[in-house]
Amino acid sequence: MDFKIEVNNNLISVHEGETLLSALWRNGFKVPTLCHMNHFSPTGACRLCAVEVEGKRDLITSCSYPVEKNMKVKTNSPRVIKARKALVELLLSNHPDDCLYCQRNGNCELQWLAEEMNVKERKFFGEKNPDYPDHSSTSVFRDPGKCVLCSRCVRMCEEVQKVTAIDFISRANQTKVNSAFHKGLNVSSCINCGQCIMVCPTAALLDISHIEKVQAALDSGKKEVLFFISPSTAASVAEQVGIKSQQDIAGIINAALKKCGADKVFNLGFACDINVLEESAILNDHMAKNLAMPLLSSCCPAWVQYVEEFRPEWLPFLAPSKSPQQIMGTLLKTHYSEKQKLNPAGVFSVAVMPCVGKKFEASREEMTRQGISGVDAVLTVRELFRFLRTFGIDLKSLAPLQVDEPFEKASAAAWKMGYSGGKAEAVALELYKMNNKGSQDGFKFSVSKNLAGKKETKIKSGKQQFGFAWTSGIEEADSYLQQIIEDNRTDIHYVEVMGCPGGCAGGGGQPISRNPEKPKNRKRLCQEMEKNAHFLSAGENLAVMDLYMGKDAAPGSEKTGEWYHTHFRKREVLK
Amino acid sequence: MKPELDGIFQKFPNRQREDLIPLLQQIQDDFGYLSNQIITGVGEYLGISVNKIYGVATFYDNFRFGPVGRYHIRVCHGTACHVAGTSTILQELEKQLRIKPGETDKEGLFSLEVVSCIGACGLAPLVEINEEYFTHLNLEKIKDLLAGFREKEQDTYES
Ligand code: SF4
Ligand code: SF4
Ligand code: FES
Ligand code: FES
Repeated sequence: MDFKIEVNNNLISVHEGETLLSALWRNGFKVPTLCHMNHFSPTGACRLCAVEVEGKRDLITSCSYPVEKNMKVKTNSPRVIKARKALVELLLSNHPDDCLYCQRNGNCELQWLAEEMNVKERKFFGEKNPDYPDHSSTSVFRDPGKCVLCSRCVRMCEEVQKVTAIDFISRANQTKVNSAFHKGLNVSSCINCGQCIMVCPTAALLDISHIEKVQAALDSGKKEVLFFISPSTAASVAEQVGIKSQQDIAGIINAALKKCGADKVFNLGFACDINVLEESAILNDHMAKNLAMPLLSSCCPAWVQYVEEFRPEWLPFLAPSKSPQQIMGTLLKTHYSEKQKLNPAGVFSVAVMPCVGKKFEASREEMTRQGISGVDAVLTVRELFRFLRTFGIDLKSLAPLQVDEPFEKASAAAWKMGYSGGKAEAVALELYKMNNKGSQDGFKFSVSKNLAGKKETKIKSGKQQFGFAWTSGIEEADSYLQQIIEDNRTDIHYVEVMGCPGGCAGGGGQPISRNPEKPKNRKRLCQEMEKNAHFLSAGENLAVMDLYMGKDAAPGSEKTGEWYHTHFRKREVLK
Repeated sequence: MKPELDGIFQKFPNRQREDLIPLLQQIQDDFGYLSNQIITGVGEYLGISVNKIYGVATFYDNFRFGPVGRYHIRVCHGTACHVAGTSTILQELEKQLRIKPGETDKEGLFSLEVVSCIGACGLAPLVEINEEYFTHLNLEKIKDLLAGFREKEQDTYES
């Protein structure tokens, strides 16, 4: 039921049961927040959303207070403004104030708040956080000195990712965010998903930067520097820069990277096609031989690490295929190096990804050959922009330049891997074709939801019926799979799991923004772009099939195993 | 896991979240402190993340994460002692020993703890060291006390 309340002498219409904050925002009243997160239960920790309500002695936190009939609210009374300003000044009291050297300069909620509240000088002097920055992780950098204790990372890590690698330690003015025993993230149970980075209002959480490594390789003049760009990276670039999806975005990125000194720029979509073919062949095999079921996708490093740490009993379900990034890395250091007569040790490969977990993946020991790793550096989308900016490159003004051979083409499957549900569809299509004499006629993949609201679908091929499901965000994935396994569901054959909510479109390496529409928008872009893909399905990618033929192999074969397959293992961590 | 720990676990057969604090309390009483290994064991037993447990345990003053020093200094922070000035005494101790309440110095010589009223308010301000009371303290006396302990250690060391 709706009713009216009075705000700053205006009547606004509100929904019964909603919070005052949501009513105010919907009606265009600006109220600052810091600890508030959409879809999370309120904590009332930061008090920045305070407003004055007639008849109440204290200011109330609008994010945790439900609307009431006959309420009279002031969002900008002198008292409110004074209180908010004091809160921000307190937050700044122990801040390092090094905005000029800070990665979040210009995109920092604390900076915005200080500016909005017209803070002009340091009023309070607090003790600085004595904890050192934590460089120990392969993917996530923590600088406790910049933490404002909003708890967004802690809630994300616990409630959405089910990991709880970090929490509040101590209390009162000693409170900090950290892992148990003040140990580094590297020994914690962190799965490197980067979702904490995505919600941090300041630079207390960042990527472990690889820009310097890449720059050094370019500057050395001795390395053959090979970039490869994931399709979802292209979608993010299109979105961020405002380029139309019909344009050859990968081509524009290629042109930009060539200006920075890249020797070659490839399309990671090529390896996505291989990964889809491999997983569908493995799936077919699992079904034929009655092996562990359902088969779980393994291209998301955060998901894989979660299973290794928390669900080792599920390891047999994980598809033993390398992720597209690692397939590409391997191809560059073996097949490609051989063909081009390059010494693999002189090749420097750089992945550009919407993901920070890919940094961890690249460093896994099973991903090296004779001490040479397949992928030498991983730039997140954020780092790509940062990198290009140092060269003064304006992406919008560049004409596209065809991505380099031989890894330039990809099918629609590659774009589908950019969002939750897409890969399941691509794998389903290949499986369908395998069971339908290679033809995709009659293939239908319609999204349906089971009783619990989980996304599942059935496809029919001849007499057979296959069940596919997809889930994203670790909490969701974990509870869904527990259910499937508990209920002994034999009708689900394949589950696509993406660690980040929404899949790579919401990846932990994407540009940071509080706009919740961004991941959806990127998904939409991927879907538009897949219409212009070079091929409809992974199996039609001629260059991919040539590679198989060169080894006299078919997808899933042992002969290409050293390129395309890997293994996972149980991992002991502090959890 | 240490067999003694299993004995404690048996007292908490339900393995619920609510057991956490009493369980930690019991362990602290029996072992004197919560080691990393023990916290990890508790996490496994109750199915709670170690990071969560460490967060909860550090929230309370009374949990320790390492063994106490040879001289365990408990500073009274009851009302009478507080009024009489134990805050400055605590500050002085923190400065001289370079540790905070709950910590033990590197040599394992001194450890600090803040406690509420010991029940000897008439003698405020006071601290308790290895179950002996040191009363009507002031900064001068604290300095002498610490110097005395250090000297004693030196002697034992040399002889
Ligand atoms: S990267 Fe993911 S798992 Fe690691 S601390 Fe952040 S949210 Fe938690
Ligand atoms: S690290 Fe960032 S997200 Fe986490 S509590 Fe601190 S400021 Fe908030
Ligand atoms: S946003 Fe309401 S208390 Fe922080
Ligand atoms: S207040 Fe210190 S003994 Fe009572």
